Amino acid sequence: MATTIKSGFERIRNTEVWRTIFRSGSGSSNLHRSQAVQQNIFLHLFSVKVRSRALEFSPTWYLGALTLSTFFILIATGILLMFYYHPSVPQAYADMKDLQFVVASGVFLRNLHRWSAHAMVFLVFAHMFKVFYRGAYRPPRQFNWVIGVFLLLITLLLSYTGYLLPWDQLAFWAVTVGSNIAKAVPLMGKQIRFLMLGGNEVNANALLRFYVLHCVILPLVAILLVGVHFWRIRKDGGLYVPEKKNL
Amino acid sequence: MDDNNKSAPLRSRPTLRELAYFGVVSLVLLVSLAIAPAKNYFSDWRHYQKSYLKIAAERQSGTLVRSFHGGIHQTWIANLGVVDRCESCHVNMNGALVGATAQPFRKHPPIPHEINQFGCVTCHRGQGPATSVEEAHYTTEAWEQPLLPAKYLESGCGQCHLGPLEGAPKLSEGRSLLSSMGCVHCHNVTQPDGNQLTPGDNPPPLTHIAEKTSREWMYAWIKNPQAYAASATMPNFLLNDQDAADISAFLMAQSTPSAATKVEIKPAAAAAPTGADAATEATTLYGASFCSSCHAVQNEARNLVGGNFGPELTRVGNKVNPDWLRRWLNNPVAYHPDTRMPHYRMDDKQVALLSSFLLAKKDNDLLANVHLAPSTADSVARGKKLVTETGCAACHQINGVNPPQNFAPDLTRVGSRALAQVVFAPGMKHNLPDYIAAKIHDPRSFGPGLKMPKFTLTDSQTGALATALLAQTDRAATYPKELIISGARPSNYHPGGEAGKLMDDLRCLSCHAINGNGGDMAPDLTWEGSAVQGAWLEDFLKNPNTLRPALIRRMPKFNLSPEEIKTLADYISVAYQGSGFDSQTLDTHSLNADSAARGKQLFYSKYGCQSCHIADYKNDKGYVGPALTSVGTRLTPVWTYKWLKDPNALRAGTLMPNFGLKDDEARDLTAFLMTLKAKQGGSK
Repeated sequence: MATTIKSGFERIRNTEVWRTIFRSGSGSSNLHRSQAVQQNIFLHLFSVKVRSRALEFSPTWYLGALTLSTFFILIATGILLMFYYHPSVPQAYADMKDLQFVVASGVFLRNLHRWSAHAMVFLVFAHMFKVFYRGAYRPPRQFNWVIGVFLLLITLLLSYTGYLLPWDQLAFWAVTVGSNIAKAVPLMGKQIRFLMLGGNEVNANALLRFYVLHCVILPLVAILLVGVHFWRIRKDGGLYVPEKKNL
Repeated sequence: MDDNNKSAPLRSRPTLRELAYFGVVSLVLLVSLAIAPAKNYFSDWRHYQKSYLKIAAERQSGTLVRSFHGGIHQTWIANLGVVDRCESCHVNMNGALVGATAQPFRKHPPIPHEINQFGCVTCHRGQGPATSVEEAHYTTEAWEQPLLPAKYLESGCGQCHLGPLEGAPKLSEGRSLLSSMGCVHCHNVTQPDGNQLTPGDNPPPLTHIAEKTSREWMYAWIKNPQAYAASATMPNFLLNDQDAADISAFLMAQSTPSAATKVEIKPAAAAAPTGADAATEATTLYGASFCSSCHAVQNEARNLVGGNFGPELTRVGNKVNPDWLRRWLNNPVAYHPDTRMPHYRMDDKQVALLSSFLLAKKDNDLLANVHLAPSTADSVARGKKLVTETGCAACHQINGVNPPQNFAPDLTRVGSRALAQVVFAPGMKHNLPDYIAAKIHDPRSFGPGLKMPKFTLTDSQTGALATALLAQTDRAATYPKELIISGARPSNYHPGGEAGKLMDDLRCLSCHAINGNGGDMAPDLTWEGSAVQGAWLEDFLKNPNTLRPALIRRMPKFNLSPEEIKTLADYISVAYQGSGFDSQTLDTHSLNADSAARGKQLFYSKYGCQSCHIADYKNDKGYVGPALTSVGTRLTPVWTYKWLKDPNALRAGTLMPNFGLKDDEARDLTAFLMTLKAKQGGSK
């Protein structure tokens, strides 16, 4: 039975269609396997070979992978939320209410997005602590640490821009306070705040700006940097796994 | 299989323990994910729609069940900002399922609009878009406008209907109280059409107060106005003894002599007869002058008898100076140019009689315990400061104190005030209607330092005021202008010429309205010249009689001279003409005896006019409308004709129905009515 499936799969892998898509043909030699990874756009980010120790819980606590999962959840729920949301002053809050009252499982959708966002911020921090205290930022991984710092910033900015979108009192005042903090920057504080809000106070322009940042610019930058981050893991010799002293 | 097995020690298959962990975690995830659609499915509105269908099925209303569309039902009116989903649960508002009395299936009571013409929250408040019981009806974390209690519901009408509204008596009462209690002296209340409510209480000026009353009375009055006159409009400022003494000292000190003091008045003793006869004569004069049309007096049973247009006179003897009273009765305008009191033409004897009659109305205990220290410069200065701070000049004219501007909070949008801006008294329910009612009922319960005085209001009046204020919403202010129905605004009409001066002197507009200006106590006189015959008018002014058997006569006899009567009657006949009262409308030559005979038939048989009117005292018993026994001498034929055709066009709101008379019927009836000419003064 198992052999039948295996040979059937081999046959599929040898068809022309399969080979035009994946190039690496049948065969399970190390070469074939590494080609299968290298020649696939999605997989080529990853190391061809992973030490089995790196897959265990203790070296990473899976914090990076968990962060990535929350990011995927956020993208998926975020796209669904965008179907129901208008970034306009008269509509925005009413859309929140509609999500709550009439959209099927709308509350679940919103809550999933919200809690995943919280979880992502928490996990990013936890991931960075873990990397820091394990010393995984040290050469040759120092550039990836810098990428990570930028990803932390992107995460926080995503969190902050998303906070305004419900357009309730909490959102309004949080962004008012936040933009006033930006105003405290010496010399060009006022200009920074103006650039942030598209005006001198939190209003329709600020809502639109935050919406575009939250839904387009910041996610794109995040995806790009995540790509670099993952690619660098491979280039820097895989996940950092300390030697087991007593092995 | 091949070499890579040797090169790396690959992990073996997962252990049983790991599989178990994985299984449990997956199950927990699955269950928690299932909660979302489950919550969605077991929603309030689905539950109610199911039970509605169950009731309908039990009552064998098959058509109802079949025609029912499940799902969320909503009223969406974009330009009013209405998204109401109340009908998702209240599915039976049109009453299709007869006899369902329990909410949410009760039928909506009939209202003058389509039930969902303006949505639900426009009148009821609450959260329209919500689809759960809790969120829709009550205050929640993110919603602070719960359903409005039923007793304030009329405030919904007041968002568009800015004037008095039949069918919304509480709202109308509240609006008129805002004006008549003088609330709008201090508070600005601007309606959505941009018009401010104006005060209608005519508070007296205090610029000459020292000649009218004593400092002791003043002290007692400002301490507690209702102790002097139960019906007093002046609120209680809860002043302490010292403050009241100082304020009275200042008010006496700022007073200057009025124009009335220049009038020489005979001493009482010289003009007034005394004795039992005089007392009877005075009582008769009080009655004959129809003082009680406007002024009330408390009788032994403590009931007020008389009108509420002027101040109550129960203890007027405690209040006024005898000299001032005689000058006032002689000519009130000299003391108070804007008074509503007419200038009676009384001779010295009548003035003396009436003033001694009024001065006898006193309560010896009222001022018995008032002993004030003489006023000093300090107390006057302190009094002035208090008068300024208390805002007395918002209502009263006072020498040296300007009316305060923006003295009290603006109430234009008070019906939508955010609860975050409201300071509640301890132990109060945190909602807007209760707050407004409590603030009106007992303003000082919110803190002893507050300025708003305590008004004497019944609970029903408090509720009416709160209803009127709750109509002042943000929603109303943003409504499309074509929805707003403004109230009538008084014009600034004043009659001109010699007659105009006379009418001003007699203060006709205190009670009668002419061309949109004036009171509503007596009939509108705008078209009086078209309506009545000149000879009748002269007779009436000489000795006014009520026209309706069921009404109390209120028009006073002013003792006018024949010249004055002629001037007035001529002016009214000429100036107060409506359009279309001419021979083109009705040819008076056609009113002959035949026509009158047919008219009599119509009067008694076809239209049964005698059920409300009296044409003949011997047989008719109609007491609803005015007696018509002398209508032929009173009304002009053309007015009568037009009146019969469409009474409401001539007097809006009249009880007289429009019978839809044909032209010849109206003409015949007019001919009959014109034959009804009783002897002079016969309509007793």
